[in-house]
Amino acid sequence: MPDAVPALEARHISKTFGELEVLRDISLVVNPGDTISVLGPSGSGKSTMLRCLNFLETPDRGQVLLAGEPVGRRADGRLVSDKELAKSRARMGMVFQSFNLWPHFTVLQNVIEAPTKVLGLSKDEAVARAEGLLAKVGLADKRDVYPFALSGGQKQRVAIARALCMKPDVLLFDEPTSALDPELVGEVLAVMRDLAKEGMTMVVVTHEMGFARDVCDEVVFMDRGVVVEHAPPAEFFGNPKTERAQRFLSRYA
Amino acid sequence: MDWDLITNSILFNPAEWEIVLNEWPRFMRGFSNTLTLFAVSVVGAFLLGAVIVNLMASRNPSVRAAGRVYVDGMRMLPFLIFAYLLYYGLPSLGIRMSAWTAGLLGLILYHAAYVAEILRGAWSQLPAGQTEAARAMGFHGPQLFLRIVLPQLVLGSAPILGNQLIYMLKDTAFLMIITVQDLTYAANSVQSMYFVPLQPFIVAIGLYWISTLAIEGLVFLVGRFARKRGLGRA
Amino acid sequence: MTGTELQMLLSGAWTTVWISAIAIVGGVPLGLVLGLGRVAGIPVLSQLLALYISIGRATPLVTLVLLLFVGLPVVGINIDAVTAGVLTLLLNTATFNAEIWRSVYQSFPRGQIEAAQAVGMQKGAIFRRIMLPQMSVAALPGLMNEATLLVKASPAIAVIGIVDLTRVTDRISARTYEPLPPIIAAGIIYMIIIAGMVRLQRVLEKRAAKWSA
Ligand SMILES: Nc1ncnc2c1ncn2[C@@H]1O[C@H](COP(=O)(O)OP(=O)(O)O)[C@@H](O)[C@H]1O
Ligand SMILES: [Mg+2]
Repeated sequence: MPDAVPALEARHISKTFGELEVLRDISLVVNPGDTISVLGPSGSGKSTMLRCLNFLETPDRGQVLLAGEPVGRRADGRLVSDKELAKSRARMGMVFQSFNLWPHFTVLQNVIEAPTKVLGLSKDEAVARAEGLLAKVGLADKRDVYPFALSGGQKQRVAIARALCMKPDVLLFDEPTSALDPELVGEVLAVMRDLAKEGMTMVVVTHEMGFARDVCDEVVFMDRGVVVEHAPPAEFFGNPKTERAQRFLSRYA
Repeated sequence: MDWDLITNSILFNPAEWEIVLNEWPRFMRGFSNTLTLFAVSVVGAFLLGAVIVNLMASRNPSVRAAGRVYVDGMRMLPFLIFAYLLYYGLPSLGIRMSAWTAGLLGLILYHAAYVAEILRGAWSQLPAGQTEAARAMGFHGPQLFLRIVLPQLVLGSAPILGNQLIYMLKDTAFLMIITVQDLTYAANSVQSMYFVPLQPFIVAIGLYWISTLAIEGLVFLVGRFARKRGLGRA
Repeated sequence: MTGTELQMLLSGAWTTVWISAIAIVGGVPLGLVLGLGRVAGIPVLSQLLALYISIGRATPLVTLVLLLFVGLPVVGINIDAVTAGVLTLLLNTATFNAEIWRSVYQSFPRGQIEAAQAVGMQKGAIFRRIMLPQMSVAALPGLMNEATLLVKASPAIAVIGIVDLTRVTDRISARTYEPLPPIIAAGIIYMIIIAGMVRLQRVLEKRAAKWSA
């Protein structure tokens, strides 16, 4: 469906931190059901780009559209209210490198907090939904445990369940496996692989080349704040067009 | 609250400020007494605290326990009741002191316990290998403590010691209750002699505040020096 | 000391306890408001609060209680000794609590806030549901320590004639001509109060931090 409305779209995003120009005219189209991986050397602006999509960072210029509707800024460029922004964010899940679970809540409480408080689900509904998701990520038996008692891989799977419990239209991942011990990476990637297969729309910043190659529909390669290449994985990994991408791949892949 | 009353007739009433100005020597006497009490008790409490922290580190368990009991006991008492004990209580046992002596002694004995506890905390953070190295080089006893250990304890706990200094400054004001003629005493006399109720205390608080800022500034400099030497908290 | 004097002593202790308790219970939320106001970045307000806190920390309680008790009536606020005493302790402890709250607020992990924003929670809900519970536990040792300091500083209110646990020893020795026993008894009661608070702190800390390893 070439002319369907993209699930998520960024148009000409720029962002500077003081003197530092971190993003320069970034555009991105994520079609419904697609999984896009964002690759690039560290410091190239991947996290900043992802965080601009849900306005954890406010882009200086450019637009973000969620299913065609503007996020964060109105058409006239003014910032939207806290309440309106929260509504848009509720439709986008985000998974962080450092999990960011809330340590004073149990696993179950972490997962149902936003569905009950933001979406207004009843506790029973939210718990039912949460239990299904915890089973799906393999943590049904951990529902009443506090996060400190979990391994990194388990924490990240809870974080994914927390994001999914909002039934988001899009999921954003920022290096979800980078803080994990190597032997725990697989269990998190397996969950993400399943989500991709089920048709979840995802944007994944990652250094896992295998995941990018095998699971993703498209690869976006960033360097020094610009999108350098944008191609299906087979093409990007098999035949990178730019020298920067070639150098990157020779180092990481 | 009547703001016009405050601004026009009280705070900016020139006649009342004139009284304060005329009584300035009295404020200065009180202030200098406060600073003297503060300075002497800082030195005294520090020296005694350094002795007590050694008791708490003693190899003899009953000496250690005595140090602990002293420190914990003082830290459970208000300063004023301790000053009462020295000034009003001890005469029953035939020990009589002037208010000034009792107050000063009280400040030293009381705050020495707090200083000792702070130094003990800093000492427990020091790597043990360090004193052993110093011992191996022939340092021992008081020399080891004074030259190797103590400087590090002081530099390492500069911010907390600084807070304690501020408490010591403020505790001097309790002594006006046992008739020591400190800054607050002076402010209160001016207040009651002329019935100008606000200005004298505002002046006193201003002087306490300036002194506190000076202490904080000094502590900041010590802390910076300590960080340059790689000691203390970053 | 006879029964009457013992009763006087206990009533002095009760005065110390309830006046301190009001100041402690009120000083915790007031400190929170002051501390948050200080970091809120509202131009003039934040600077004024910083100045107020700096002066408040430097002011001896004896001086402050005299200022309030003698000074407030002159500006048209009639205030009795007990109210002045409570207000003094409350204002003083709130300035110290403000610094404690401010420091736990500023060291709150950003990532947790971002996670809450990312699921669509708004400022108020993030503060109430995510930050405040954790900030309270982080602030607890400091707040309890400040509470014991407050009890130890509370005899300052004796200077305006409130018969607290310290001043009552004067009253008793005026009857018995033996100052030592009531002073020692008062000292022991203070120790019991402080020891009780330290114990309470341990219990609270244990209960509050069930979620951290
Ligand atoms: N909040 C910030 N303030 C200032 N500079 C920042 C901030 N966040 C990121 N940067 C800088 O922006 C650049 C891109 O960072 P980031 O988006 O995290 O890159 P990546 O995720 O690709 O490693 C880096 O140089 C980083 O130091
Ligand atoms: Mg990053």
